[in-house]
Amino acid sequence: MIELQNIRKVFNEGLSSEYIALHDLTLAIAAHQVTVLKGPSGSGKTTLLSILGCMARPTAGRIVLAGREITSLPERFLTDIRRQTFGFIFQHYNLLKGISVIENVMLPAYPQGEPFSLLKKQAADLLKLFNLTHKAAAKVEWLSGGEAQRTAIARALVNQPEVIIADEPTAHLDTRLSREFMDIMRDFKAQGKTILIASHDPIVHESEVVDRVVQMRDGRIIDAGVI
Amino acid sequence: MIKSIEKQRNIIDFTLSSLWRRKGKNLALLVVYTLVVFSLGSVMFFTQALKNEAAIILRGAPEIIVQKLVAGRHELIPMASAQTIRAIRGVEAVKDRLWGYYYDPIGRANYTLMVPEGMDLKENEIIVGAGISRVRQVFRGNALLLRTYDGRPISLFIKGILSPESELLSSDLILISATGFRRLFGVSGDDATDLTVTVLNKKEISTIAAKIVDKLPDARAITRDEILRTYDAVFDWRAGIMIAILAGAVLAFLIFAWDKAAGLSGEERREIGILKAIGWETADILQMKFWEGTIVSLSSFFLGVILAYFHIFYASATLFEPVLKGWSILYPEFRLTPFISGYQIAILFFFTVIPYTVATIIPAWRAATIDPDVIMRT
Amino acid sequence: MRKSDGFLLFIGGGILLLAAIFIQAHFVTRANLPLFQQKAEVVKSLGLTDLCLSTEARYTRHLSQSDWHAAFQSHPLALDHFPIGSIIGPPETLTKPHDQIH
Repeated sequence: MIELQNIRKVFNEGLSSEYIALHDLTLAIAAHQVTVLKGPSGSGKTTLLSILGCMARPTAGRIVLAGREITSLPERFLTDIRRQTFGFIFQHYNLLKGISVIENVMLPAYPQGEPFSLLKKQAADLLKLFNLTHKAAAKVEWLSGGEAQRTAIARALVNQPEVIIADEPTAHLDTRLSREFMDIMRDFKAQGKTILIASHDPIVHESEVVDRVVQMRDGRIIDAGVI
Repeated sequence: MIKSIEKQRNIIDFTLSSLWRRKGKNLALLVVYTLVVFSLGSVMFFTQALKNEAAIILRGAPEIIVQKLVAGRHELIPMASAQTIRAIRGVEAVKDRLWGYYYDPIGRANYTLMVPEGMDLKENEIIVGAGISRVRQVFRGNALLLRTYDGRPISLFIKGILSPESELLSSDLILISATGFRRLFGVSGDDATDLTVTVLNKKEISTIAAKIVDKLPDARAITRDEILRTYDAVFDWRAGIMIAILAGAVLAFLIFAWDKAAGLSGEERREIGILKAIGWETADILQMKFWEGTIVSLSSFFLGVILAYFHIFYASATLFEPVLKGWSILYPEFRLTPFISGYQIAILFFFTVIPYTVATIIPAWRAATIDPDVIMRT
Repeated sequence: MRKSDGFLLFIGGGILLLAAIFIQAHFVTRANLPLFQQKAEVVKSLGLTDLCLSTEARYTRHLSQSDWHAAFQSHPLALDHFPIGSIIGPPETLTKPHDQIH
């Protein structure tokens, strides 16, 4: 599904603060599987995740998405691909404050120009799926931790992406909610979605849903796991 | 096509929700902005209407007016001067005008007394302007008591009231017969207030005016063009009030722009980052900012222009009234004719909507080009 | 209703109202033309020179006939004693002498 070839990512290149986040990584992510990137903070998980999700460009190397080389695409096309292929769940959820729950869910789809009624129905269906219908008009800052997380997941799904990318999704959740999150991931996997999670939480990488654990350290893969 | 319209509507939806989060601030902005457009629009409408009105109705003003000056003041001119002027080649006719001012201590107002030509008025008969009728509460058939130059009271019989439609010209006028005028002010039969000159060839007016001044060095000549152009100077940018209004508008705009430039707080940057991370591209962000500026400025523009129109043409320019009225008691009540042009509206649009919208987009430019992954690393 | 529809409706209403203003202004102006004719007649028959905008002083009542020493503001920020002087500039007679004959 996604292939990384000799990916290298350097921040502040040429400055004294130059920092190599990823060292010539090569990795292939299989479709319809749950892959977890595991490693201590600073190991390059998040950077790798953002490169996998076409959010950041690598300093060197190639990315092949579903057989298509996308490294050199201009921003517009890359954004388009990203929007249609990936759904993101962020560590801090990154919901927009002061905006209603349903609007937050609809936001990623706005630039697509889908008919509004269709969009609204999709979002409402997602909220129903996550038991959030009664909160649809509420502002996101009034949500509990679990509700905020489910809203963030609903938002990741609104464009019906093939791939779900989650960065430390359980970092701010208690055990019960963390398990609930993994249950939701199991459902996604059953629906045939590809799931990528960066986490150092045992609840995540020890879950039986996970197909593969990739271990990272200092910007290198130290264990690519079993495919 | 439909998709891109739908997309813009989606973006507007979000922008409105986003603006509504700070409704207090944004509504205040809308009000201030509307006021700016309103005051600029009012000035524009008022100026244009007054200029047009003056240009049309003063076309009938005398071609040349000759006034005698003594020690820098306008004095009575001897009728004999008319002969001197008649002798100039190209002069068609010279007529004497009798007019002057009367301060009425009862009404505490200034009146303009004028002797009309070819109007059949007896010595004790007058016709008064609608403003005088209003201030003194006198009507047709009443008498108006004035005092002559030597202190004798005389009672003048009001034969008629000038039509209220012409109040912009005649509000403070008292039309009186020549004998009545001379008796009231003690002006001798040899003098007139000034002389009006009609010229054969209309192209020669300024040449003749110069010749008159040459023949009568103690006189000055005012041509019709100069009269007409006087009213072109209404609300000239150099005029004090105009500067005050413009300065207000410019300051308000600077505050907006400053607020916008400084307004891209960490919070706003973070939001732009989130939008980029969830799949908005730079162009989408800029379109959102465009709408943000447009929503505020366009709404204010429409509100301001429409309010200004009603203010000037249907509320008798209430806010300018104190300026025109000044310290005077007698104030003409007039309703201006709405001469408006697309050009004016376009000017107003370009000076209000465009700069604000640009000022909203520009600061967002740099924030919009940040990499979407920044949000993941914070 | 969608928020954007509300906004577009508002702007549409604004455009319509503006158009209505133009149309109305056009017709009022046309309807007032005879009135202008009438006023121009008054000017002609009485030999008037000025609009009666302000009656407080000689030079504000007859702007075009003002004395050479009339107190027109000479600086952008100078507000006149008589307020009207701050919205209208001095007439041309005061700022530009007639062409001299040679």
